[in-house]
Amino acid sequence: MPDDDVLPFDLAGCLTRVRGNNQQAARDLVEHLYPLVIRIVRAHLPRRVPEEDLAQEVFMKMFTRLQQYQGAVPFPHWVSRIAVTTCIDHLRAQKRRPEFRWADLSENEAQVLDAVMTNSDDVPANDAMAAHELVHTLLGQLKPDDQQVIRLLDLEQKTIAEIALLTGWNQSLIKVRAFRARRKLRKLFQDLQRKEHA
Amino acid sequence: MKIPTPHNPWLRLTQAARQVQDDRDTAAPYGFSTRVAALAFAVERHRVSLVDRFALRALGVAGLAALLSVVVNYSELVAQAVPAPVATVASATLVVADYEPYAHDDAVSIVLNLAD
Repeated sequence: MPDDDVLPFDLAGCLTRVRGNNQQAARDLVEHLYPLVIRIVRAHLPRRVPEEDLAQEVFMKMFTRLQQYQGAVPFPHWVSRIAVTTCIDHLRAQKRRPEFRWADLSENEAQVLDAVMTNSDDVPANDAMAAHELVHTLLGQLKPDDQQVIRLLDLEQKTIAEIALLTGWNQSLIKVRAFRARRKLRKLFQDLQRKEHA
Repeated sequence: MKIPTPHNPWLRLTQAARQVQDDRDTAAPYGFSTRVAALAFAVERHRVSLVDRFALRALGVAGLAALLSVVVNYSELVAQAVPAPVATVASATLVVADYEPYAHDDAVSIVLNLAD
């Protein structure tokens, strides 16, 4: 028998034991769900909030609300929703958004921005990290809810239905937020272009 | 086949940003699960102890209220408990004659008394 032949995680059994105040089961549950939670936290991490603190907050909420979980959706989906809404709450708490200035961009970021605004060539693969940083800087200019919608739609390429499931917002609201956010981004690009040419 | 590049700068930017693979470790840091589980159960215990404390306080308040009501109504309670002194024979006869059992409780007898 190979060494890496591990048994699948018994989520239902683990939840039953957690409900019965079994601390070892709670530890197992955290270990099992940590990769899922940390991926969401890293993708939506607000500024100045350490990822571990945010992950801990997500798990604390999960344990506090565990009695409310009725099994209508798979448990990982339920936890994902808690993680996304916790990130949105933190983004909302950070009211001041840093002003976006061309001068604050790194050399690579400025090059990437210039490239996407002026020519139709692909962004070189080695500039992908700069593009990634730039996207997050630009997203920081949007309202927290709009940020989340655009992040989920354009970066994680989720469907409207999936976003509705993750956030609890209805689909029309998501479409309105996406429209509003894209309009703001377009305006941001236009302003940058104007300033660059001035 | 090459995917056509969109003209929208934002879409081109996000297309480039998606190429970044996050290869950071996703395993829980050492001691994280123990800390979180302990905190979660501590919160649970704290909530239960709050309920306990509230229940004990309610019991104390209820006891005090009962004692207070006894003190306030002491004279009436004593009056009801001690039988009335035996009156003179004449007045006792009068009392017996006037006494109509259940006359004040029965609605029909009250109406009949009024009719009389």
